[in-house]
Amino acid sequence: MTDRKSLYLMTPALAWLTGLMVIPCLLILVLAFFRRGIYGGIEYTFTLENIWLVFDPLYAGIFVKSATIAGTSALIAVIVGYAAAYAIAAAPSRRQPMLLFFAVLPFWSNYLVRTYAWIVLLNREGLIASVVHSLGYDGELPRLLYTESAVVVGLVYNYLPFVILACYAPLSRLNPEVIEASRDLGGSGWTTFRRVTLPMTAPGIATGFVFVFVLSIGNFVTPALLGGGQFQMIGNLVYAQFLTANDWPFGAALSMFLIAIMMGLLTLQTFATERASGARKEES
Amino acid sequence: MTQTMLSLRNIKKHFGAVQAVAGIDLDILENEFFALLGASGSGKTTLLRMLAGFEMPTAGSITLDGRDITHTLPNHRPVNLMFQSYALFPHMTVAQNIAYGLEMEKLPRTEIKSRVADILEVIQLSHLATRKPDQLSGGQRQRVALARALVKRPRLLLLDEPLGALDKKLRGEMQLELKRIQHEFGITFIIVTHDQEEALVMADRIAILQDGALLQCGSPQDIYEHPQSRFAADFIGVMNFFPVRRSGDHLLANDGGRVFADLDDAVANNSDAVAAVRPERLHLDVGKGENSLTGRVSAMAYHGLDLQLHLETPLSPDSVMVRLTADAAEARPLSIGDEITVGWAARDTRVFAA
Repeated sequence: MTDRKSLYLMTPALAWLTGLMVIPCLLILVLAFFRRGIYGGIEYTFTLENIWLVFDPLYAGIFVKSATIAGTSALIAVIVGYAAAYAIAAAPSRRQPMLLFFAVLPFWSNYLVRTYAWIVLLNREGLIASVVHSLGYDGELPRLLYTESAVVVGLVYNYLPFVILACYAPLSRLNPEVIEASRDLGGSGWTTFRRVTLPMTAPGIATGFVFVFVLSIGNFVTPALLGGGQFQMIGNLVYAQFLTANDWPFGAALSMFLIAIMMGLLTLQTFATERASGARKEES
Repeated sequence: MTQTMLSLRNIKKHFGAVQAVAGIDLDILENEFFALLGASGSGKTTLLRMLAGFEMPTAGSITLDGRDITHTLPNHRPVNLMFQSYALFPHMTVAQNIAYGLEMEKLPRTEIKSRVADILEVIQLSHLATRKPDQLSGGQRQRVALARALVKRPRLLLLDEPLGALDKKLRGEMQLELKRIQHEFGITFIIVTHDQEEALVMADRIAILQDGALLQCGSPQDIYEHPQSRFAADFIGVMNFFPVRRSGDHLLANDGGRVFADLDDAVANNSDAVAAVRPERLHLDVGKGENSLTGRVSAMAYHGLDLQLHLETPLSPDSVMVRLTADAAEARPLSIGDEITVGWAARDTRVFAA
């Protein structure tokens, strides 16, 4: 394809991205360096205050907490999702599309509905509590809803389909003869998994992990609903700056920091994937 | 040298209702280069996979050095397989690929290092030790796959269509190379191939498989010169066939002419049969044999080493192929449309039941 032709084809997408992604991001970036007006609004004088405030222990703590929750969610999602993808890839090939369809099915329902479902499950009179009580336990159950764990559960549940799809791709492409070769050369099942299957499918794991992490760390719906306002994640903090605290410049600074983290991770992941797939071909 | 190392007894393998291997008995000798030859679907690959341990026979037993390994896992057999796809580990370098099998044996690092270096020397790829498989040519990958299996010094090395992916010239070189390596290492090789020429060139003995059954087993010469069935005769090399009927001590062809052969009791008197003769056994010097055949030259193909003629004869609807040596072709210039008579000896006639 000629350069001109591909430019034509790319124009709508480029225009879309520039108008609705790049320019707003630049606006946010600029906003971060202005002062907050006394009654909200923006005072157009340059300042670095907002940037320093991001590193204030109070807010840095929220960043660390968000990263911990996102990291835990990503880790659990990768373990559960990889196992599921492995099972699907090992199933008879004519059954695989159906299994994948079921794995992704919850994803087609509304995000809020799916998250509310967890409230129904986890609340004090919820499904889990009534099942446990009906089994004869009548002591006090630890609180399930409005905890960090509930947030992690909600995030894992929501993003699991991504991980399954990301891990399924390299697993299904794996040449079965390579696995057999490892067995043939004396590798046990576990050694073969550790030294051949896992490294060869690592790009899928990395993609799944980064995906869940990035979507989780900026998420504000799940922490709001399942965390019940008990604690804040960065997403909630940004949300509050723009919509309740009316401190747009600080909200912008927080957003930029979040975007920077995500970009860093995505770059790292792209780099790692390319390395793993041996895309770099060195000349001798 | 002539000691049996591997015995297959009544090996059967079913995949559901499909019978892939239908009861095979085979003895493989120490240091032998053995070829399993057959068309696709003949069961040769299934048989190889059972030897490697990737498929379990439905019935029968496999004994290696007196030990029953029928149900032993692949990682516990002193047997290695060189895969048709080579199945190199794409995330490891050439050296890491080769070292993998030795690491599984938990050998000391220094020994692994020196054995990898040695085998890289043998396959002449020492300079590419740090390359990844996707940075190698097809021929280089093939040699790495061979080295990775060989370095473990298995009792038995299985090769699944090892030369299938190489171009013709490289294939010729690798045939000799494989034979040299097999001789040098003193390891028993079993090769699976659908290429009869490859089997003839490389193997000490060949087993022809058809529909999961063993059709014939013997030396290349034995199989080529004394095929025991029409299928085997047709599968190996080129063979001219024509329908005949036995009449006492000789055969009668379609045109009523006599065909002489060393007849045994394989074909009953007055029953239909098929006579066969190899193209290179037909001579322009008619006096040399008991049989003669006249036909018109319909096509000629010059191959350098020989001249191949197609003759239209009354004996059979198919043209008869004649292969003349360069000398014979030079002695008598021929052109298309010429009528010629070729002769052959009775002992060169093969006879199969129709």
